[in-house]
Amino acid sequence: MSNFKIAWLFPDTLFLHGERGNLLALARFAQLAGFEPEIQKVDFTSASFAPEEYDVIFCAPGEISSFPAVRDWLLPYKARLREYVDGGRPMLVTGTSVGLFGKQILRSDGSEAEGLGIIFTQFSENKAVYGDDIWFECEYNNEKMEIIGNQIQMGDLNIVSEKPFGRLRYGYGNTGKDRNEGVLRGNSIFTNTLGPMLVCNPWLTEEIIRVAAAARDITVGDFGYEPALERRSFATKQKFIETKETGLTNCGR
Amino acid sequence: MRFYIALWFAKIVNGLINLIDKSRGSNFAGEHAMKIDPQMVAHFKGIDPDRVLFITGTNGKSTTNNLVNHIFRENGKKVISNLEGANLIYGVCTALIKASSLTGRVKADYFIFETDERFVPVIRRQLPAANLLITNLQKDQVQRNGDPDFIYRKLKEAVKGQNLRIFLNNEEPRARAFDEDAREVVSFGVARHSEAFRKSGSYVTMACPRCHHKIVFDYYNTDGIGAFHCSNCGHRSLAQADYTVEDVDFENRSFREAGADFTMPYDTPYMLYNYSAAVAVAKEFGGIEPSAAAKAFAGFRNVGGRFEIMHYKGKTIKYMRIKQENPETLQTSINVMAADPNRKMVALGLCPLVDMIPHYAVTFYAYDCDFSKLVKSDVEKYFCFSNPVCYDTANRFIYEGVDPAKITIEDSEDVEVIFREIEEAETDNIYLITWLHTYEHMEKFLKKEGAVYE
Repeated sequence: MSNFKIAWLFPDTLFLHGERGNLLALARFAQLAGFEPEIQKVDFTSASFAPEEYDVIFCAPGEISSFPAVRDWLLPYKARLREYVDGGRPMLVTGTSVGLFGKQILRSDGSEAEGLGIIFTQFSENKAVYGDDIWFECEYNNEKMEIIGNQIQMGDLNIVSEKPFGRLRYGYGNTGKDRNEGVLRGNSIFTNTLGPMLVCNPWLTEEIIRVAAAARDITVGDFGYEPALERRSFATKQKFIETKETGLTNCGR
Repeated sequence: MRFYIALWFAKIVNGLINLIDKSRGSNFAGEHAMKIDPQMVAHFKGIDPDRVLFITGTNGKSTTNNLVNHIFRENGKKVISNLEGANLIYGVCTALIKASSLTGRVKADYFIFETDERFVPVIRRQLPAANLLITNLQKDQVQRNGDPDFIYRKLKEAVKGQNLRIFLNNEEPRARAFDEDAREVVSFGVARHSEAFRKSGSYVTMACPRCHHKIVFDYYNTDGIGAFHCSNCGHRSLAQADYTVEDVDFENRSFREAGADFTMPYDTPYMLYNYSAAVAVAKEFGGIEPSAAAKAFAGFRNVGGRFEIMHYKGKTIKYMRIKQENPETLQTSINVMAADPNRKMVALGLCPLVDMIPHYAVTFYAYDCDFSKLVKSDVEKYFCFSNPVCYDTANRFIYEGVDPAKITIEDSEDVEVIFREIEEAETDNIYLITWLHTYEHMEKFLKKEGAVYE
């Protein structure tokens, strides 16, 4: 019997960049914390959606052309989703799908679409794609940490007055013009970071599990996991980033 | 006049390149000539658009182009093509420069060009091919393309209202969706074969290109390609394509298509769609009967660096090329290894992407690939190499349940270090999977060390 439910939103529509790895990481670390995780897909065929029944909600990036169909399906659940986010529950949204949860999406052909409006951001699709590594500092669940991943940026994210999730040490981040990366609303993360981020940075995965458990008044202690492999990976990628050629100027070198 | 100056300049350049290194002349002359005449491709004389075919798509372009050329030439047709794989407009231009007279006249029965899927609109503006073949449109080159829909939209815009005959892959959902844009559709496909597979429900499929709901694959003949239907709208593969590879027998290397018996030059599942497409093109575009195409198959040798077998210090090394950011080519390699019942060593170098600035350390596409059958097969050890993604590669195996004790890691692409690790394996059955550039370094080393190629 599962006692840790993870919602995977529209996996076959928002299907890019191997992000199922994040689900594997969430399930793995939930198990290490002593839970019996279960991943449930939520999509067009689902009879309904009750966000509050899930311990973590995950949404991967998709093609922007798919957003209106997904938005229309999710709209009846918008209030409950917002309540989930504003209530401090953990949701992770990655890549382009951050735009879906924002207020407005501007396409490169001049057309506009409304997002879900869970966060107050504006996503503007660019004519060219930008792909790179990303490295930033962040604080989550009162833990300071550094994250390295990848970014495939289809557009710029104007976060208006939202709180950024991280401060870039290297990377394009939200706009390529400043050091802001993603958005943090309560304990919900809206990030440009791929990787999969939770596989490559298990220190964040552990904190997400802790936040999810705390929402049910459960305290998770030590996971009993030594992330030696991930630390070696982090170190060699950090060196790679520090020494590579780049056109970005927003973080200095 | 500008055209003639560009042409004569390019012919002199080509002549010089031929004296120095013939292998370097696939792009150079065209690129520089088009600085003199940017519309140069449009100015060649004697090209009938009905005799022009562009072969585009994510995977299989080069192989299909080579096979089609081989069949046509074996059947006495004169073809102008870009067989060196230079598939941007400069490669097309260079091929035409090489084949043209001093007045820019080209004489050939057919003009068949591999074209990068991003550049079909650009090339068609100067060379309005009336025939287009789409192999498939899949996840690939995300650093520049972002997602498949980016390419799908570009190609859609390029073909809409263009009165084209389109050869399309019946069992790849995005390619299949071009049926609504064609003057005439010729579909090609492959019937379910003995190495068709499914993936567990934890793997994603894809969004329907028409309505964005889930595409359901009944099975995969090769990754991302197989009988499919949309869970919402009517988009689906036809039960039978116009040209279908059937009765596939991998053991005896044979299949049937359009009533003819064929011998497979390469007995790997991913080649079947290339075979199917080539037979369709031969008949419909070249008027070559399938039985005549079949005779040409036996002598076909693909361009190098895709799949190579070599013998080195008592080991049989099977190299399979992957394209980074491209889960389909990695999945194909995994399936080939998983199908081998013998004990094996897996040497996997995913490598960072260094195509353009900035380079980046990407391995995420490996999470779209199903390693479970490989892991259940008899693997002595997994060797993950290449800086700086070797640890992430190892982690992918661990997430698939591989015992970390069976994994060795080398944060390097030093060829000597890599082959020392290979030499230390107990098994002589080695699979080496990495991208072409790294393999080319290895190939030089192997040849120097006396490796014997099959």
